[in-house]
Amino acid sequence: MREDDHSSPPKILILATTSCAYPGADATGQAHLSYPTNTFIMNVPSPAILPEQFYFDCYDRGIGGIIVMSCGVECPFEGAYEQLAARIDRVSLAMRERGIDQGRLKLCAICTVCTKSFVKAVSDMNEVLAAQEVA
Amino acid sequence: MSESDKLPTPTPISTPSLTPKKAVSVQKPPLAAAKNDKTSGPGIGVYVCHCGGNIADVVDVKGVVDQASGLEGVAIARENSFMCSDPGQSMILEDIRAGRVDRVVIAACSPSLHETTFRSLLVRADVNPFLVEQANIREQCSWVHHNHEEATAKAATLVRMAVGKARHLKPLSPVRVDAAKRALVIGGGVAGLRAARDLVGLGIDVDLVEREADLGGFVSGLDRLYPDGEVAGDFVERLVSDIEGDPRVTIHRSAEVRRVGGYIGNFTATIASGASSADQSADQSADQSADQSADQSADSTSASTSNVEVEVEAGVVVVATGFRPYAPTRREFGCGRLPGVVTLPDFGRMLADLPDTASSLEVDGRPVRSVGFIHCVGSRQLEGVHKPPKGGTLNKHCSRVCCTATLQTATQLRDRFADVAIHDFYQDIRAYGRGHEELYEQASRADVIFHRYAGDTPPKVRKAPEDDENGLLVNVVDGLTWGEELEIGVDLLVLSVGMTPGDIGTIIDNLKLATSADGFLQEVHPKLRPVEMAVNGVLLAGACQGPKDILESCASASAVAVKAAVLLGKGYVELEPYVAEVDSARCTGAGQCQEACPVEGALELVEEGGGRRAKVNPAICTGCGCCVAVCPSGAINVAGWTLDQFASMVEAITEGEEVAS
Ligand SMILES: Cc1cc2nc3c(=O)[nH]c(=O)nc-3n(C[C@H](O)[C@H](O)[C@H](O)COP(=O)(O)OP(=O)(O)OC[C@H]3O[C@@H](n4cnc5c(N)ncnc54)[C@H](O)[C@@H]3O)c2cc1C
Ligand code: SF4
Ligand code: SF4
Repeated sequence: MREDDHSSPPKILILATTSCAYPGADATGQAHLSYPTNTFIMNVPSPAILPEQFYFDCYDRGIGGIIVMSCGVECPFEGAYEQLAARIDRVSLAMRERGIDQGRLKLCAICTVCTKSFVKAVSDMNEVLAAQEVA
Repeated sequence: MSESDKLPTPTPISTPSLTPKKAVSVQKPPLAAAKNDKTSGPGIGVYVCHCGGNIADVVDVKGVVDQASGLEGVAIARENSFMCSDPGQSMILEDIRAGRVDRVVIAACSPSLHETTFRSLLVRADVNPFLVEQANIREQCSWVHHNHEEATAKAATLVRMAVGKARHLKPLSPVRVDAAKRALVIGGGVAGLRAARDLVGLGIDVDLVEREADLGGFVSGLDRLYPDGEVAGDFVERLVSDIEGDPRVTIHRSAEVRRVGGYIGNFTATIASGASSADQSADQSADQSADQSADQSADSTSASTSNVEVEVEAGVVVVATGFRPYAPTRREFGCGRLPGVVTLPDFGRMLADLPDTASSLEVDGRPVRSVGFIHCVGSRQLEGVHKPPKGGTLNKHCSRVCCTATLQTATQLRDRFADVAIHDFYQDIRAYGRGHEELYEQASRADVIFHRYAGDTPPKVRKAPEDDENGLLVNVVDGLTWGEELEIGVDLLVLSVGMTPGDIGTIIDNLKLATSADGFLQEVHPKLRPVEMAVNGVLLAGACQGPKDILESCASASAVAVKAAVLLGKGYVELEPYVAEVDSARCTGAGQCQEACPVEGALELVEEGGGRRAKVNPAICTGCGCCVAVCPSGAINVAGWTLDQFASMVEAITEGEEVAS
């Protein structure tokens, strides 16, 4: 999706970890890369803090897609990433059962300098959402 | 301003402050639970920054201010060219002092830049520093978007999110933990000795644990030290005499740390020693008083024969366990297989043992006319050329000290034996420190003959035929003579062995320490926090962190002492307030939180008020939130990152959205 596309696209919630992905998003800004404005970054110490219900409530409230940008295995919180990954799997399965497109949830690892990966994750999610809109 | 919003009083660990939660039914999803905690007091001040043109060129700042001023809970919304500047900060300060606002949202650059600036501002205004929230409208808005209208709408939403969160902010207090003004120093090499001496100098008592009977570590087995040729034994003796006899240092020799655990301010360790502190004080007193010596050496003997275990407490743990010199295999350069092949430390000892009057060197009764040194043995290993040990990995790192140690030994050899031919087989000469390059020059002037080999074609060594004038033959493809293959006869071949990680599995496992790819201990940050481990209160001195010479080892040890003094100086330590808090009234003791908690000792179930309740140890809790996500009654939250806050932010994003799923 292009930034000058003025239709109101579905909103993307980005859960960005304080240690890795949030600084990664900052670095994307410092590099003056560009991505669409339907993106809302929420700083989280570890996304493992958010219960499964949080995701469904977001979709219920009208969030189009959720990108969980974690630190991956570099997670500074011992054991948290494994719990997060398992939770995302469970949420994804439950999404299928509820008829929510599983593509609307994405877990990826973004480091403090992953600027291009950040932009790509956003554009991939926008593609999923655009395809869904068309369908 | 309400009393509760004033400066934080650190919470003593015994009585962690529990933030009362609003009664919300168990079944309600977190978003529905998002109600305001901000019910009284003046209100939120929203301050939107132009950042010169950085924000204002893209975002209509006035439009954002107008939208913010209409938000629930917002008392005032203002703009300024540079919110971080004196005028910007004064504007906020005045609003707080005049009682117009009691919590603050700053819409500006990333919190990574100025979060501490704005927290300090609140402290100056006598407001709890955690009552500020930032909306990142520069890095995450004006710098990545170019359409004014859309960027302005997004900035307004980011401000709405921050206001949503700010409504749920509560004053937070750092977690205060009483700290023992003692340090446990593991390892009595030069780093451990230096750290111990500096620690007591800064008022911190020390338990020093050394595995061997003697102190000094690897250096005590060396002959002369670069860069100045000091006798190693004299140097170690000076360090030891600085702490021996000091009542503030308890030395545990022939001792090991069996178990160590706890957290900053409150570590405990079990030390098993053949010769405990009793020996030391006995030895020291024996020197002082002949009368008492009989009794006390009896103590000493009994302690050294019995394997005593003692428990010690410490506010910080200093790991100074050093390194292991690389042990070449029998395949490598004939070490242990061919007579006349020795390691550099062995050769140092040979030289040290030679009487000053010795006019020649001998190996197995044969005079030594030619000596070779091979660099990088056990360092800078390459895939396909070197074989890793069983179950181990290659040592790809440069050991940094061996080039200069080799040059120093070669010049020392020349000083004593003018007629011996000296050959130096090297890859690169890494003489990086002050006085090191001079040693290289000195060695060159002293007729040391250099041969440069490439990493993938190391020299080959074999026994010379019986009739050869030397005992060994070294074949090298010499880069200094344009790749000529040379065969050089030597009688003694010295292998410059590198530094490999020490064998400290117990300490690593007990304290959950991180190692880097090379196997050495890994500090939190190589530049910003170079002597700290990620585990709070565990500090690193010397070569356990990676190859270091004595200067570097002692420098890190002194840095450790100062760091420890900073951490323990007040008699307590303050930890970040972002730890889990349990609302006992809502906790049903179901225990999912304990199962989910990945950190041993952070959360336990205790009997309280006639039932089981979760209880968090704020000194150990990392604030990961794993417990929060699984609590069926919403009874647990991480302070500063509550589910209510997240829910409010999502509501702010989706305001006016249709239900879409
Ligand atoms: C061949 C060679 C020559 C060198 N020559 C020089 C030189 O001339 N000049 C120079 O500046 N540097 C030199 N160095 C570097 C120098 O040896 C190191 O800088 C120094 O030894 C590092 O001191 P350390 O205390 O960190 O470690 P170490 O010297 O290794 O001491 C660590 C101590 O900890 C003890 N220990 C280990 N594990 C435990 C445990 N679990 N419990 C209790 N105790 C434990 C060990 O027994 C040891 O006493 C040389 C190094 C090599 C390899
Ligand atoms: S310091 Fe010199 S001898 Fe030692 S590993 Fe590095 S290059 Fe090789
Ligand atoms: S926040 Fe993490 S470490 Fe702390 S009690 Fe909960 S699960 Fe354990």
